[in-house]
Amino acid sequence: MNVIEIKNLTKYYGKARGIIDINFDVEEGEIFGFIGPNGAGKSTTIRTLLGLIYPTRGSAEIFGKDCIKYGPEIKKEIGYLPSEIFYYSKMKVIDLLKYSASFYKKDCGKKIHELAEIMDLDIHKRIDDLSLGNKKKVGIVQGLLHEPKLIILDEPTSGLDPLMQQKFFDLLKAENEKGATILFSSHILSEVQKLCNRVAIIKEGRIVKVEKISTLKENNYKKFKIETMLKIDKDYFNMKGVSDLEVKNNMVSFLFRGNINSIMKKISGIEIVNLWAEEPNLEEIFMHYYEKEA
Amino acid sequence: MNVFIKEIKANRRSLVIWCIGIVLMIASGMGKYAGLSTSGQSLDDLLDQMPKSLQAIMGIGTFDLSTASGYYGVLFIYLVVMATIHAAMLGANIISKEERDKTAEFLFVKPISRNKVITSKLLASLLNIIIINLITLFSSVIMVQRYSNGENIMDDMIILMVGMFILQLIFLFIGTAIAAISKNSKTAASLSTGILLITFILSIAIDMNSRIENLKYLTPFKYYDAKNLMFGGGLDTDYVILSVILIAVLLSATYVFYKKRDLKI
Repeated sequence: MNVIEIKNLTKYYGKARGIIDINFDVEEGEIFGFIGPNGAGKSTTIRTLLGLIYPTRGSAEIFGKDCIKYGPEIKKEIGYLPSEIFYYSKMKVIDLLKYSASFYKKDCGKKIHELAEIMDLDIHKRIDDLSLGNKKKVGIVQGLLHEPKLIILDEPTSGLDPLMQQKFFDLLKAENEKGATILFSSHILSEVQKLCNRVAIIKEGRIVKVEKISTLKENNYKKFKIETMLKIDKDYFNMKGVSDLEVKNNMVSFLFRGNINSIMKKISGIEIVNLWAEEPNLEEIFMHYYEKEA
Repeated sequence: MNVFIKEIKANRRSLVIWCIGIVLMIASGMGKYAGLSTSGQSLDDLLDQMPKSLQAIMGIGTFDLSTASGYYGVLFIYLVVMATIHAAMLGANIISKEERDKTAEFLFVKPISRNKVITSKLLASLLNIIIINLITLFSSVIMVQRYSNGENIMDDMIILMVGMFILQLIFLFIGTAIAAISKNSKTAASLSTGILLITFILSIAIDMNSRIENLKYLTPFKYYDAKNLMFGGGLDTDYVILSVILIAVLLSATYVFYKKRDLKI
């Protein structure tokens, strides 16, 4: 069963592009990644799902119900963590959490304390007095306190230290094992890789690719940058598995996919000054997908 | 119910400050009367010599300043301005603050419809303006009675407060409607008070210049003019009907536009 079904979802802000013909499904029980650079339309998609803004065209269903028409009903089972946390600043943390809980017709007291303990959060402080990271923790507790069936996270890790990030991921995995479906938006590939089963890649408002993480990992691209002693023939590295080849004076850069030994042999054939081999960043992966689509 | 209680708590402090302001206004205003009334008739003579336009600006008009109720009639217009500014700002802010403070992303992902949120907020605002109105009524009655020498003021007071309440409602809903319609959540409050000031100045201009009297329908302040309400004048049916229509239009605009709105975060 699909928890989220998005069909041709399109949103324009006036004439400005928000998202265009977004299509993807999130299955029950999976952790679904949603990655793309800033401004690609991740938050727009999520805010449309949550009924904060209205689509220009297309529709989305959550739990099999239209997300605009049945908004209040389906939100009973949604937990949401926004990318930037803003709360009623004069409230104490515990009052905010109780206020949040008061919208759900169940007793959340135990869960609040349990989550606050895991996230090491002082619930008697005022919201104003909290650091960015601690506000994020309030957001996490607030998003999970009613044990939602669908958890939507919009760039949730910013502001959390690595230790807290790990605790948070463990928490998400535990909720997932209990049956919660998770939509996880991020611009950091590594954290998506760590957590998700499948990902949708969004760029400039359009979905470029929906792929299993395991498949993405097989497509193991490496980014090479080589500084050579002498100018080399610009087609020297033009071989199978090399893409985005660029030669500028003594600098060569390209993406490589395939048997790493073959490229190493090729490199050893020339005199080099320096070598960088790294994981390509997200933008480069996008570029790659873009070229393949075109 | 939770949103209602939240809003009551959030507006508690500002409500207390406004109430203190109004009580001080009445106390100091009527205190001045105590000083003036001892000099008796000479005050009216003095004011009669003032140009009509100056009288209009000060809101004196046809009031007999030697009586406590006449004096209060002048003071009343300033109380109305205070109460309506409070109402307009309250209305604009209570709706727009969720977007201004970016808490919309908290509130509107909860299982509650926008209509229910608006209803709770409007009920909370209603309670606030009722409290302002009652505080004004009680402190006015107490203060005026001290100087009225047995003059019966209760009927006039109640009529005045009914007029003020309708004005409060009109400006509350002007505030909420503007907040629901306007694209920028930060400008809603200033836009509402701007409209208030323009209509108020218009009402004074009409007092100064009888040739533009037909414009009186454009400014709610003219609907409930103290000198028409007091001394047995009572409420004018036309104006009351006009007010009810205005309130109904503004109220439905608030709901309709807020429901369709793309929340800016």
